[in-house]
Amino acid sequence: MNPTLADFGKDVWWIVLIKIVAVFVFLVVMTLFTIWYERRVVARMQVRPGPNRHGPFGLLQSLADGLKLAFKEDIMPLKADRVVFFLAPVISTVCAFTAFAIMPFGPFVSIFGQRTPLQLTDIPVAVLLVLATSGLGIYGIVLSGWASGSTYPLLGGLRSSAQMISYEVAMGLSIVAVFMSAGTMSTSEIVTKQADSNWYAILLLPSFVIYAISAVGETNRAPFDLPEAESELVGGFHTEYSSLKFALFFLAEYINMVTVSGLAVTLFLGGWRMPFLPDWLNQGWWGALWFTIKVLILLFMFVWLRGTLPRLRYDQFMKFGWKVLIPANLVWILVLAGVKTVNAHAPQQRWYWIGGAFALVLLAAIFWPSKKDSPKPTLEQEVAARPAGSFPVPPLDLQVPVSPRAQRITAEREVV
Amino acid sequence: MPELKLPDIDYAALLPMLILFGAACVGVLIEGFVPRSVRNMVQLVLSLAAMVAALVFVIRRAGEVTAENAATIGGAIMIDNMGLFMEGALLVLGLVSLLLFGERTLERGGAFVPHAAVTVGSERDREQAVDSGATEVYPLALFSLGGMLMFVTANDLLTMFVALEVFSLPLYLMCALARRKRLLSQESALKYFLLGAYASAFFLFGVAMIYGFAKGVDFRAIHEAVRGSETSPTLLLIGLALVAIGLLFKIAAAPFHVWTPDVYQGAPTPVTAFMAACTKAAAFGALLRVLYVGFDGAKWHFTPVLGAVAVLTMLVGAVLAVTQTDLKRLLAYSSVANAGYLMVGLLGGNKDGLSSTLFYLVAYGFTVIAAFALVSLVRDADGEATHLSRWAGLGRRSPLFAGIFTFLLLAFAGIPLTSGFMAKFGVFGAAIAGDQTWLVIFGVLTSIVLAFPYLRVVVMMWLSEPGETTPSVSIPGVLTSAVLGIGTVATLLLGVLPGPLLELADQASSFIR
Amino acid sequence: MSGVETGEAVAFFLLAPLSVIGALGMVMARNAVHSALWLVLTMLSLGVFYIVQAGPFIGMVQIIVYTGAIMMLFLFVLMLVGRDASDSVIETLRGQRVVAIVLGVGLAGLLGLGTYRATQGLAVTGLDEANKAGNVQGLARLIFTNYVFAFEVTSALLITAAVGAMILAHVERRRGERVGQAAKMRERFLPGNYPGPKAGPGVYATSTSVATPAKLPDGSPAPRSISPILPTRELTAAEKANKHTEGR
Repeated sequence: MNPTLADFGKDVWWIVLIKIVAVFVFLVVMTLFTIWYERRVVARMQVRPGPNRHGPFGLLQSLADGLKLAFKEDIMPLKADRVVFFLAPVISTVCAFTAFAIMPFGPFVSIFGQRTPLQLTDIPVAVLLVLATSGLGIYGIVLSGWASGSTYPLLGGLRSSAQMISYEVAMGLSIVAVFMSAGTMSTSEIVTKQADSNWYAILLLPSFVIYAISAVGETNRAPFDLPEAESELVGGFHTEYSSLKFALFFLAEYINMVTVSGLAVTLFLGGWRMPFLPDWLNQGWWGALWFTIKVLILLFMFVWLRGTLPRLRYDQFMKFGWKVLIPANLVWILVLAGVKTVNAHAPQQRWYWIGGAFALVLLAAIFWPSKKDSPKPTLEQEVAARPAGSFPVPPLDLQVPVSPRAQRITAEREVV
Repeated sequence: MPELKLPDIDYAALLPMLILFGAACVGVLIEGFVPRSVRNMVQLVLSLAAMVAALVFVIRRAGEVTAENAATIGGAIMIDNMGLFMEGALLVLGLVSLLLFGERTLERGGAFVPHAAVTVGSERDREQAVDSGATEVYPLALFSLGGMLMFVTANDLLTMFVALEVFSLPLYLMCALARRKRLLSQESALKYFLLGAYASAFFLFGVAMIYGFAKGVDFRAIHEAVRGSETSPTLLLIGLALVAIGLLFKIAAAPFHVWTPDVYQGAPTPVTAFMAACTKAAAFGALLRVLYVGFDGAKWHFTPVLGAVAVLTMLVGAVLAVTQTDLKRLLAYSSVANAGYLMVGLLGGNKDGLSSTLFYLVAYGFTVIAAFALVSLVRDADGEATHLSRWAGLGRRSPLFAGIFTFLLLAFAGIPLTSGFMAKFGVFGAAIAGDQTWLVIFGVLTSIVLAFPYLRVVVMMWLSEPGETTPSVSIPGVLTSAVLGIGTVATLLLGVLPGPLLELADQASSFIR
Repeated sequence: MSGVETGEAVAFFLLAPLSVIGALGMVMARNAVHSALWLVLTMLSLGVFYIVQAGPFIGMVQIIVYTGAIMMLFLFVLMLVGRDASDSVIETLRGQRVVAIVLGVGLAGLLGLGTYRATQGLAVTGLDEANKAGNVQGLARLIFTNYVFAFEVTSALLITAAVGAMILAHVERRRGERVGQAAKMRERFLPGNYPGPKAGPGVYATSTSVATPAKLPDGSPAPRSISPILPTRELTAAEKANKHTEGR
């Protein structure tokens, strides 16, 4: 019933071709849709209509934008490294597309009489393939920054390489817990395993939280969009890009969003299966629908974050990645391994172990030396402590007199 | 899926290594949490305690080794008599040279630079001249020593490779940490690192070839494949040659010796002493195990080649030592030549060869540590004065230290009543017994050549008038005095009463396959 | 599995030249970043080789770790060094390059030929057995049984590397050297320091030169308005003159 690894790699060539085209079309359409979706949602959050002119609900807006972008003048900066400048967006896009090859959309379906799983392919190390392609995708950004021959893109590229490598570590570690629970790295089998037990988002909640956070960092989305921080770096790594090359970056960014969402769905949210539904609704082509719905909900999260949160400061962001996410992840993996070992070898004494560990943590928390805060001086004390001749500070209860001009205008208005 | 059968791990046998690695990790934590003012003392005490503890467990294990309990972790580590002897020897030599690391009276803040990342010659660099030296060297030395213990007991080539890296990487780092002449020190570290990385790559390439030949990387499988294989030995020969290159690099045999003089000169003197004694011992321990346990069936293939390497090593070391004007470089070339003598013993190919090589390693280790300790004493305002001309007339200034150094040089030259004589006598005797007389002829000839630079130093020290520039000999602190005492007494004792150690080495000279 | 399948052969003959070209390009490229990119090509090809030879896990790890992380850090450093920085091509040892090429090609030829000769007609065995329980599981079995000690000790290697990076690259700040945001602000408002922004130069007021000082309300030039790195410049009378405003 459920596809296993052995079911892959046996398709006829034209089925493979259809699947490839389908994945390609899915991603491109998702990109166009997501751009519109994002603009509409953010607009709604900011109490304005958003794009609503082209097509029903403005749905064709992003298509129009995309076409316009493609026909713009392609500018090659004088100091650019031509080959690398061209290669960078290509690398980004190719890697983004490749990662989706292992996403399971559903169980077996019948395409023109051929019974085949609704997934392009699956390999024993499928999840690693996603990590590998996202690792290679960083090259696109870094190289674009370097090849532009300009300072802001270079800084953007450097930032992004540091950021994405750091967050890829956290991301990879959060997936380890899934591997440990599922016992496999193949996506279709992970989905099957979740059907047997429960969603890993519930069983492995810390991993899911860390994955979600690092996914935002990995895709360079707000609030972690430091490589293209407009206020500091103009546009970041793609400042010098225009026309189709810029469009490719755009495409890659949105596909990456879809990919990390799809991976989150597959690894943590039960994949193409929807719970609480009768069996016939969890079969065949229905899976693709549930998968897409879940992905869209996660994409909404991305948009929501962007609409709500301000951008982080770079050093705080890196500190957060290295000093919070990664250690927390490691501790969690250790705990999980301990629980699994106890469960496997000494199920009767399980509660002693868990209680013992809990007591240990409690004791540590109780006896942890607390740092005494030095008494904080009040504002008045601080002001009084300033040396003589300091820059004058206005009093806190300063009453600003109304300006004569404003008085005059008010008076005139009252006359009229 | 078949049930996973976890191998038995004999923690008691592994304890020396585990203690060292554990103490090193604690040492790294100390760097983070203990205030700088007491860090040196804490680190020194911790490292010494760890080494002594490891040594105690090695000694306790002696005599309990049987063919059954020697191999552990499914045969990845083999703690047989030979391995145990090497572990003990490494720990003793490491202990002695670690005392040099802790010396702080000769130079303010010790021999190591406080912040190696500070640009050489910058304002900050001048400011840090009075700071206390880096204490990270202690955990690094412990990691290195732990890796060496693993290196000499590894029973398959993969474990051996990991051990090789574990003990090399800290050495590369420590080389860059000299307080004086920092550029020279950094250059030496870079050279050592680059060449060492090449050597490791060769080793690994060889392991892959041997895996192709023997379908396994553990020595038993290799041994059986070498004996019973009907297939062409090409893969075996390529693999053995590449693995040998990796190991010969570490023992500084010609033509893989080119790093030795630069690194010995540039590295901080305590590190040089540590390298000269311990690295050489560890690399020879591993080479012995590889050749005697894994590839003994291919003896006819490797003996002539390694014999040629040994001859070349002796010649290069001896001839180039004559031309040196820097004392540390001279000792470096002497160490190259000594690698050649050790190889002569190794190529004897019999039990005597094994035991005499072991004896040589220990005897040479003590002497060389003491020699470098003495080099660190002779200093002027710019640090150690290692140029030969500066040593002229030192005998008049401080006859005691000049006397000790003379004695150590005589031991290097192999004069009777020193350990050097007994050691050389042993390896040459074993080589003759093993029908390798041609090696012995070259050995004796080069020994004569090598005696010349040693005697030149002696003559300079005693027969020249001390000039204006003759540096003073600092009064050594407790630690350096201890090193000097131990080294000199060991050199004398092993020369006069070699019996106990010879007996020990004889008992240890057996491998368990 | 003794023979080579067609797909494997095709992949090999496509990628083998690429990886060799990558290696050569890495050595020959003048630009350091290009050099690194060539190396990336080689490593990628190697990763695919591993996958094709039934080692998917090691192939993926090769791509993730080597191309994704290590080469990325290389690029990071190279980009900081600057794009026009290229090595000096002057040989310090004469003839070194020729000798290196001859010896290198010789060694490669020797090893290649030797391996070729030795593996002629060699039957491939053991691959199916090794991957019987799955490639990842097979590797895990080895790592956690016979090689568990080597695996664990690798952590010592990593700790050493981390400590080394800290020693060689990290300069510890002394106490008081690190100035926080609050302290900086306090310093800014201390007496003797003008906390506001400096006045811009008088460009376009009377001249087009940035060396023209701005004028204070009383008509005197404001010295703080000119960047200290600019050379002092003699102003013409027209530039010195006060600008007429409407009131006069």
